[in-house]
Amino acid sequence: MRSETFTTHQIIGNPVSTIDRLSNWNVDELVLLDISRDDQHDMRREDHFVRYDGSSTLDLLGYIARSCGMPLAFGGRIRTLEDIQQRISAGADKCVVNTQAYRRPDFIREASETFGAQCVVVSIDALRHSDGSTEVFVKGGKEATGLRPEDWAREVERLGAGEIFLNSIDRDGVGNGYDLSLVQDVTDATSVPVVACGGVGNYEDFSTAIFEASAAAVAAANIFHFRELSYPRAKQACIAAGVSMRPANVDSKWFPRDQPYDTVRENERIQARLANAKSDHVRSVYASDDVPEMTWCKRCVFPVISATPMSLDEDGVCMGCRMAEVYDNISDDEWKQREGVLFDILDQNRSTDGLRHDCIIPVSGGKDSYFQVHYVKNVLGFNPLLVTYYGNNYTDVGERNLKRMKDVFEVDHLIYYPSIGLLQKLNRLSLIAMGDMNWHAHVGIATLPIRTAVQQHIPTVIWGEHGFTSLCGQYSKDDYFEWNYRNRREHSARGYEWNFFVGIEGITPQDMMCYQYPSDKKIFETGLRGIYLGNHTHWDANNHIELVRTQYDFEVSEEPFDRTYRTMSNLDDMHENGVHDYLKYIKFGYGRCTDHASKDIRSGVLSRGQAINLVRQYDHVKPSDLVRWLDYVGMDERTFDQICDTFRDPRVWRKIDGEWVKSNLWDRAG
Amino acid sequence: MLAKPQIVVVDYGMGNLWSVLSALEFLGARPLISSNPADILKAEAILLPGVGSFRLAMKSLIEKNLGEAIKEAVQIKQRKILGICLGFQMLADFSLEDGMTPGLGLIPVPVEGFGDQELEGRKLPHIGFNQVILPNSSVLFDGFTGAEDFYFVHSYRLLLKALPGKGAICNYGVDFLAAYEYKNVFGVQFHPEKSQDVGLNVLANFLQFARDAGRKV
Repeated sequence: MRSETFTTHQIIGNPVSTIDRLSNWNVDELVLLDISRDDQHDMRREDHFVRYDGSSTLDLLGYIARSCGMPLAFGGRIRTLEDIQQRISAGADKCVVNTQAYRRPDFIREASETFGAQCVVVSIDALRHSDGSTEVFVKGGKEATGLRPEDWAREVERLGAGEIFLNSIDRDGVGNGYDLSLVQDVTDATSVPVVACGGVGNYEDFSTAIFEASAAAVAAANIFHFRELSYPRAKQACIAAGVSMRPANVDSKWFPRDQPYDTVRENERIQARLANAKSDHVRSVYASDDVPEMTWCKRCVFPVISATPMSLDEDGVCMGCRMAEVYDNISDDEWKQREGVLFDILDQNRSTDGLRHDCIIPVSGGKDSYFQVHYVKNVLGFNPLLVTYYGNNYTDVGERNLKRMKDVFEVDHLIYYPSIGLLQKLNRLSLIAMGDMNWHAHVGIATLPIRTAVQQHIPTVIWGEHGFTSLCGQYSKDDYFEWNYRNRREHSARGYEWNFFVGIEGITPQDMMCYQYPSDKKIFETGLRGIYLGNHTHWDANNHIELVRTQYDFEVSEEPFDRTYRTMSNLDDMHENGVHDYLKYIKFGYGRCTDHASKDIRSGVLSRGQAINLVRQYDHVKPSDLVRWLDYVGMDERTFDQICDTFRDPRVWRKIDGEWVKSNLWDRAG
Repeated sequence: MLAKPQIVVVDYGMGNLWSVLSALEFLGARPLISSNPADILKAEAILLPGVGSFRLAMKSLIEKNLGEAIKEAVQIKQRKILGICLGFQMLADFSLEDGMTPGLGLIPVPVEGFGDQELEGRKLPHIGFNQVILPNSSVLFDGFTGAEDFYFVHSYRLLLKALPGKGAICNYGVDFLAAYEYKNVFGVQFHPEKSQDVGLNVLANFLQFARDAGRKV
């Protein structure tokens, strides 16, 4: 979860893959706070590798603890000694108590006597008021207590707390550094260790809290999820600043990043799915569960149950709309300053000896690619190497656009063509395994540029906009979210690494080379950073298309797509708007038209009523490129439909009288 | 003769067995959790974990007749034992935590608290990763050289004294015994199950030693 001032909460991913990543780095300690209001963790995704039985807090904790090799402090909705006992039994080493410590201070004493002081962490959420005074808040920052943090800290220590986890509400997620005087005041008031949290925006902020505010330990959340190898780099910065700590591990022996798959189990899973597909009554593994009401954003047309992590705020408006407002309200001056940040990163890493390019731009040949190269080469003045993963799904127009890039921009361009035989296998196998025939494309695009960067010692990779930020508001502007492996593994690869396919139908590791991500050690040594242009220059697809058409003769499609009204997107992959997107509709009940219409509502191009009509017209359409795809991989349509049906999300779809039905936005909007 | 050396994790009703078990399973071991003295006497290797009060833990160990079983297994049958954290302290002669409580007497040193003067403002419990100076050519630290960081959570410690075996030393204001091994008796004050790669290496070394010893029988 990404959190800001305790009010904005954005889902940024699956806790299991996040914690796997932290284990890779041998993180010193993990504080995991469950901020859900009820005891429900919905991670039901048939199309992702990570799945687990159960959905309660304890189920989640038990699942996490199995792969968690670091000390784990777990908090959230702990009210009784039994709650603590259950969490310890499920794998927690310490429990973090907040509201209940305030409601019933003796609870701290009882917990400390029963489980030992080392097990009892009291978390204090402090707000600095505008007059400079500080106050403790409970109930997730919602309820004022009138207590001063240092007084409350003294009291919880007296009652037996072994540690204090001090969070600053007003600094939370803001990224402008810790509230140093708050940390110092609480540290001075107590003799138990105080862990400072809230406000880290730069790796340098950690050592500042240790040296200038005497923090016993420093914690952060957001920053660790925003950048590649964030934890090793944070420790590198602390050690450089003179903090005595053990360096992070980037080559863990016991917690390797790329783990083997249990091929027997995985094969059983696939066979079971195929058997299910062939049976007359396709059933979902979750079909017996309660199905919640469908909800949509009140402003755009995005559903809450979606392929992208999505959350609504208290007004029922989605984070995608909220973040669009945030980005729209950036002033021209601020954009200038943000452009300067990008220029400095590129400039510091430009080639000084002429033995390599200045940066890498992954390009598909689409409108965004044209804009990226235009901006980096012709606006900022750097010499990029273009890198393309050729997924063999180009439209004629898209292919012409791709191959003209070297000419119109006068740049070098590497195009990697994987073997067609392999692509056919991967298309078919990944449809069966995860309901996404384009696994190869998503992972190829997310791997090849990074491989090239490491091989050629080019430390900067420039991506376009961050798709999940613009679509579902996953991150905010001051996060300066950067490329990272977790994002690739979880979202591009759905938890299925390249080695998942090795051994199936004779596929060898060598066949899968272009999907093999470089080792953490090599990425660390390269100093690799993947920057998203969307954080540094105003990203408006409708403006960009005009620019690249007029300045660089970018061609758009003459024929409209089957599944969306936009003609300028995804020319590089006929299936991305077609079969791939149809699968999204089968899984979640919406498609690319919903994505495009939501974006166009946010940029003021469409009204919500117009958008709903478009969604109604396009989202369900079975696309004509399916004919090519079935012929390409050798599958018949009935088999395809059967496999698709096994991925239908039971929260969205029900089968009534042999027909799949779902509720629709227009049913209620009228 | 045992085909597979049996590892028993002693369950005396206190502390958190989960992390230790999880780590052992992670390393491919299939430990038996038991509070039955007969299982302890049959085991090739014994793991004594523990978190909490020394006095209560010893009381529970004695009430369940586990203390005598452990001593017999280790002293007479020469079975291997690894004590972790409080389990390590329980191998010592006695502890001054919460009065004076006798331990199992397998390591001839006392357990005491950290003195205020020694701590020089450091806070208790001693929580977190700290550097441990390792002995040469030991069983537990096979493959390591010099020093490594391990995860500690404790307020009492085994005193440093002249001992026949090999000790590892940590400093928290004052030097204390962070690990010890002599013949078939092993103990670590830190939590190897929470010290990630280095900690798992230590546990793996102990399991390997127990396995090798099992084959020699």
